[in-house]
Amino acid sequence: MKAWLRFLPSIINKAIISDAIKIYEIDFNILRAYITPRGGKMLVEINGPQENESIQYMEEQGIQVTPIMRVVTKDLEKCMDCGACVSVCPVNAICIKEDWMVEIDNQNCIGCGFCINSCPTKAIDLME
Amino acid sequence: MKTIEEINQKITNGDAVVVTADEMTSIVAQKGAKKASEEIDVVTTGTFGAMCSSGAFLNFGHSDPPIKMSRTFLNGVEAYSGLAAVDAYLGATQPSQNPEIGLDYGGSHVIEDLIRGKEVELIAEAYGTDCYPLKTVETPITLDKINQATMLNPRNCYQNYAVATNSTPETLYTYMGTLLPNSGNVTYSSAGALSPLINDPYFQTIGVGTRIFLCGTEGYIVSEGTQHSTEVERRNGVPVGSAGTLMLQGDMKKMDPDFVRGATMPKYGPTLYVGAGIPIPILNEDIATRTAISDEEIICKIIDYGIPRRSRPVITETNYKELKSGKIEINGIEVPTSPLSSFKRAKMVAEELKEWIENGEFLLTTPVKSLPSRGCTVKPLETNKPAVLVRDIESKSIIMTHSDDKINDVARKLVDNNINHLPVVDNNGQLKGIVTSWDIADAVARDKSKLVDVMTRKVIIAREDESVDIIARRIDKHNISGLPIVDKENRVKGMITAEDISRLIGGNLKNENGGESI
Repeated sequence: MKAWLRFLPSIINKAIISDAIKIYEIDFNILRAYITPRGGKMLVEINGPQENESIQYMEEQGIQVTPIMRVVTKDLEKCMDCGACVSVCPVNAICIKEDWMVEIDNQNCIGCGFCINSCPTKAIDLME
Repeated sequence: MKTIEEINQKITNGDAVVVTADEMTSIVAQKGAKKASEEIDVVTTGTFGAMCSSGAFLNFGHSDPPIKMSRTFLNGVEAYSGLAAVDAYLGATQPSQNPEIGLDYGGSHVIEDLIRGKEVELIAEAYGTDCYPLKTVETPITLDKINQATMLNPRNCYQNYAVATNSTPETLYTYMGTLLPNSGNVTYSSAGALSPLINDPYFQTIGVGTRIFLCGTEGYIVSEGTQHSTEVERRNGVPVGSAGTLMLQGDMKKMDPDFVRGATMPKYGPTLYVGAGIPIPILNEDIATRTAISDEEIICKIIDYGIPRRSRPVITETNYKELKSGKIEINGIEVPTSPLSSFKRAKMVAEELKEWIENGEFLLTTPVKSLPSRGCTVKPLETNKPAVLVRDIESKSIIMTHSDDKINDVARKLVDNNINHLPVVDNNGQLKGIVTSWDIADAVARDKSKLVDVMTRKVIIAREDESVDIIARRIDKHNISGLPIVDKENRVKGMITAEDISRLIGGNLKNENGGESI
């Protein structure tokens, strides 16, 4: 699953993620990270049979975990299905379907934002 | 053989057979062109793409007291007002005057907002005359309230177009969308087999005065568009690149926001997505054959937009079947493709037009005059001043440094020669990096003694045969002040700096003013 992790500066020096990986044997992939003096947030992908337990552990250690179903959203009113975004996606998560609709596969999306910047009508947004 | 009058009679009676251009492709494949030409009366085409050469004539109506508007702004976007008192032409690509908004909102967005029925702020300035005393107007307007609004697009519906890629190592932002480095993607803009002028490649039925679908209402072909050209390479009858174009007009007050859209090509600028569809009467077998063209039979060329010249190099050719598959092969490597124009909406255009004709709401027209089908080429603009090339800049003695040089020696070289940049080369004179006086200050501050630790390895370079204007753009884009000039073997031939370019402009100004600088 994909999730946003938010944490305060007070726990920045603790190796919570490293412990979570070791204890719960999860795959942990960081897709985006913003660290500021006021704390940080990371978009991550967590996978493994014990992913829920690992999330519970992270929360106990002070990380706020917000699982997300979608990394980006497409505004259907604004999207014209022009497909400008399709070829800039580095993980082939955007495709044009049979009926020529442009579809974003949020399973594969890594939230890099290239599609957001390439859209002529600003129809795509990153989910926070 | 049929006539337009016969087809119109059928339309009026409600028994005309109308199909879209993509349906026609399979009908002809199954039944043959002869049978299809007997059975099918009209083929509808459609496209929904970015068409920069678009805009609208607005007549605001007269205020009391009246004003002769000399400058007008709509939501901060300037419209050209060098016309009669309350006429203006709003161009689709005009960006907002507000630098904070810039390219994000432009003429095309104002056009969309008006068509959506939104209120738009009109600001007009005038110098005041005896008959038009008022000097300013500031008022909200809506499309309903203003006197007239006519969309008039000087160049729409390009008959085929280039396919874009970018061979350079940096991302380019173009009117063909975002082009990834090292030919990382390919973009194209034609609707292929659905596109109007591809289905009538010799303009047998489409001409001046033809009634068409424009942005959700009926529009008309005014004439051939600007840059209309006919002397082009053809394959299967269809040009392999940009060729014929159309000038279109329609009543903006009747347009439907589903078929027109303001947009911004990232870091390029505003453009208008126009939905246009043209009905093609199937008068004979030849016309039926033309409208049966498939995506696979429409060939187009992949052009390298990394070369910012009038003539860009052709990389290879492809067709629309390949392009629409989502990936093509360039030099053995699979490259993803982006359409830029919406097939979904192009199909909606063709379907909508089909419905109008089936319902008897839209009759076909005989052109008042044919579009030119031969003898048209696009003339280039020959400028008075030829482009100044990098090699034309007065050459200074080449000063370079080696990567194993000590920081102290490099600092001395910079000071002795009164320069700020030094290209770093190896023993063969090949470029390895660049070091600036700032890098040296940085090295001293952080107590580094080796040049390799502070030099920049990824160097932005200039070539001797490049125009100085392109170098000026590169300096601006990368926020740098100097570039090493290198030859094909990557050997350093000199340096070109922002100062060199300023001096060049200064020199030109002197000449123009009889030796006096201004």
